[in-house]
Amino acid sequence: MRSALRDLPSRLRLHRLLPVLSIAVAAGAVAAAVASPQVSLQDWGILLVFAVVIAVGEVNRIVLPGGRETAPMSLAAGYALAMTWEVGETHRVEFTAGVVVAVTTVGMLAGAVPALLRRSPVRADDLAARFLSVAVAAILFRHVVVWDGQPLLTLQESWSSTRWVTAISMVLVSGIALFVQAFCVALATASRDHRPFWRSLVDEVRQGAGLGAALAASGTLIALAERPMGVVALPVFLIPLVLTQFAIRRYAGIRETYGQTIRALSRLTEIGGYTRRDHPARVAALSVAMGRDLGMSDRDTLDLEYAALLHDIGQVALREPIPGGATMMAAPADQDRIARDGAGIVRQTGVLDNVAVILESQSKPYRQVRELGEDLPLASRIIKVANAYDDLVGEARARRARKHASAIERIHLGLGYEYDPRVVEALIRVLDRRAAVVGAG
Amino acid sequence: MSLYVAGTCLAAVVSVVAAWVLVEPPRDVVAIVTMLILGLLSSVFRERDVGSNITFSFLSIIIITSAVLIGPVGSALVGAISMAFDRGGRSAIARVFNASMAGLQGAVGGLVYLAVGGADLSTVHGSFDLLMRVGLPLMVADVVQMLINALLLAGIVRLSSGTPPRRFLVQMITNSGVAYIGYGVIAFLFVILWGPADVGWFSAVLILAPLYVARWAFVQYGEEQRAHERTLSALVTAVETKDPSAAGHSGRIARLAEWMAEPLSMGTQEVQALVYAAMLHDVGKVGVPTRLLRRPRTWTPADVEALTHHSALGVVLVREIEFLNGSLAGIRHHHERWDGLGYPDGLAGDEIPLISRVIAVADAFDALTTDRAERPAFAPQQALRQIEQRRGRQFDPHVVAALATVLERHDWPITSADEDELDRMRGYLDHDDPIAWEQVWATTPPLRPAVSGPGPTPHPVADEPSPPHPAAGNADDVPVAEQVRAP
Repeated sequence: MRSALRDLPSRLRLHRLLPVLSIAVAAGAVAAAVASPQVSLQDWGILLVFAVVIAVGEVNRIVLPGGRETAPMSLAAGYALAMTWEVGETHRVEFTAGVVVAVTTVGMLAGAVPALLRRSPVRADDLAARFLSVAVAAILFRHVVVWDGQPLLTLQESWSSTRWVTAISMVLVSGIALFVQAFCVALATASRDHRPFWRSLVDEVRQGAGLGAALAASGTLIALAERPMGVVALPVFLIPLVLTQFAIRRYAGIRETYGQTIRALSRLTEIGGYTRRDHPARVAALSVAMGRDLGMSDRDTLDLEYAALLHDIGQVALREPIPGGATMMAAPADQDRIARDGAGIVRQTGVLDNVAVILESQSKPYRQVRELGEDLPLASRIIKVANAYDDLVGEARARRARKHASAIERIHLGLGYEYDPRVVEALIRVLDRRAAVVGAG
Repeated sequence: MSLYVAGTCLAAVVSVVAAWVLVEPPRDVVAIVTMLILGLLSSVFRERDVGSNITFSFLSIIIITSAVLIGPVGSALVGAISMAFDRGGRSAIARVFNASMAGLQGAVGGLVYLAVGGADLSTVHGSFDLLMRVGLPLMVADVVQMLINALLLAGIVRLSSGTPPRRFLVQMITNSGVAYIGYGVIAFLFVILWGPADVGWFSAVLILAPLYVARWAFVQYGEEQRAHERTLSALVTAVETKDPSAAGHSGRIARLAEWMAEPLSMGTQEVQALVYAAMLHDVGKVGVPTRLLRRPRTWTPADVEALTHHSALGVVLVREIEFLNGSLAGIRHHHERWDGLGYPDGLAGDEIPLISRVIAVADAFDALTTDRAERPAFAPQQALRQIEQRRGRQFDPHVVAALATVLERHDWPITSADEDELDRMRGYLDHDDPIAWEQVWATTPPLRPAVSGPGPTPHPVADEPSPPHPAAGNADDVPVAEQVRAP
């Protein structure tokens, strides 16, 4: 039952559904915008500026350190548009949320065009999450009655002497909208990566908190500054966010470089002839899928990935390679020594202690948990199973199905003694999904 | 020195008094308190090292903003008090100097703002007015503040270390000029939000939130970068464990190569690439069977070839790391010779990348100045003489000259080994040691053309693929020659 509930986002294919929902909302909004008559020519000018900035923001997407894509400038401009109430000191704008959503649609779609022309993929679910988030902000600010029968839009007049209340109300609206975005993204990742939804949401909120604070502040800044400055405020007040975006891009860049370095180092053993080709990369991919399935957090998954990539690094210290590089076949004492040497090498960095801890325990059999009450890290148990599977199946394309069956059988023989049953279940789920994808493709 | 600081202090006091007389003293209590709190927070929580040469001064933004919002006197007070509590200042005199400088910046900045026509915020309407009567004067005040900062610092640096003030000023302005423009722009946004947009004290939160996040990300970037460097070097050490005679070799070469870059006047980027290439020049050795790193009794052509594979293998290993792209050629060609008889490609003279020529010299020099089982280390001057003998044949004469210059400027300790270490090294062949290598060469002359044909045959290694490590049994496992052939 629990697993049925867990798989719900995947089974509903929510990452495909989100864009569909967005299209429906956008179509409704465009219809509403066309029907609403009271948008003046001056307002169309303002809206055009917003659409352009949103499009530019979409073109300048950034990749966050976790690997997810976002478009901070587009989102901030979208929130600002949703909360615009006076442009210039005398001109009040009263267009509906429908108009806001329609303009956002145009901007975001236009921003996706260059990527489509280059034939680089556009992440439809991330785009949909951004779009829905702006729509929520617009509806909250312009239509939801909060006090005295009025929405925030018209309440602003009565707050002219206490403008900070306006500011706080805007920060709150952006905050809720950001949470909606995190919620949508978490649904999509849970569905795409087969992770528990709750885990995805916690990760999403934790990782998005910093940038989210900057976004909420920027949207509010722009909406407030439009009153004295007019629509010029939009580009001018995005400057602090541009700096933030630059800093985050640098951060994500070095994280990516770090990943490349670890991947390159994982091939040390391969080039030294100690392991089969791509063995560390395959074990890492399998381990990460299992870790996600078992609900590991993003941070732990990263440690798991690095540990899996480096799990054979201890072999570099061996004088001559093990036949075929399969540690699974080596004597237990040798396996322990390789694990210890590997952990020692990794520990020398002084910054990968978590990875070293995982490596240390990678050769220990699961029965030590049951019999001695020892605490083996989940990541170590995962790597043990993934490594065994890869060693048993090998890379032979021929007779793959038979090898797969016999590998699973051998792992089953060690169930509870050598391998953690929960982890083996995860392995089987992951492999079933892979087979389904291969079968469908 | 203390006279200079006293002078700065006096100038600050005079400017505050003058401002007090010329302009009415500040009255906006909320603004003063808010700015003071922000100033103190930024001083107390300042992290000195934000990483990667990015300086980020919240206090500068606050001083400029205060100069407009609460006038010269208030700004001077905010600056001086905040700086007095700064976490970074070590001595009392540094504290007094910093506080005086901040006070002077605040007072003069505020006065300049008013002098060049900066308007009272309540009289400004519309974006054009905002830009011309607030934005422009604010930027002028900002530039003046930057100049005060640079001039005073140039003075103090002159007094403490004798650096010519001219050079320091130019450096200072090019380094922090852009940052100061940024501070001015942010301060302008701050002022608009506070005054014309009526947001008041809350605008501090809104303006500083994105900046704080940016700063956080820069700090993370710095940490991650340090972590990355440590990972890289620790794993290089791991490779060196395979060959006990090479312990610490990569790190020493990286340092020596960096020193040599200076007399060769290499650019910053090239130096970066050089240091990384030097650090990683021998990673390909993991692909060489351990028995070949020993001094063999007999050489077969395949053995020599396998050993010479290591420079190309290193490239295969790290070519997917993007930031090392500039170092790849350096790694591949670090065993080329000036006369074209090196490996893997038999390049000669200027065809060899400069980075590789530098590494070749540093490599040989370090090998010579290291204790070996069969001989003690050469003293640096002796080792230099050995290298100079091979100038124009094995090594680039310019690079050898650079090495000589470096040895005049820096001390180079020989790397000594104790009995245990010598014992472990016994029987290992150091392929970087030109003398040892020439002996191997001399005993097996017919091998020479097999490794590097004279003249520029582009990829002699790839022409005759032979598995470099017979230990790996399976043929489809590691087709290294295949990989080497790929560009």
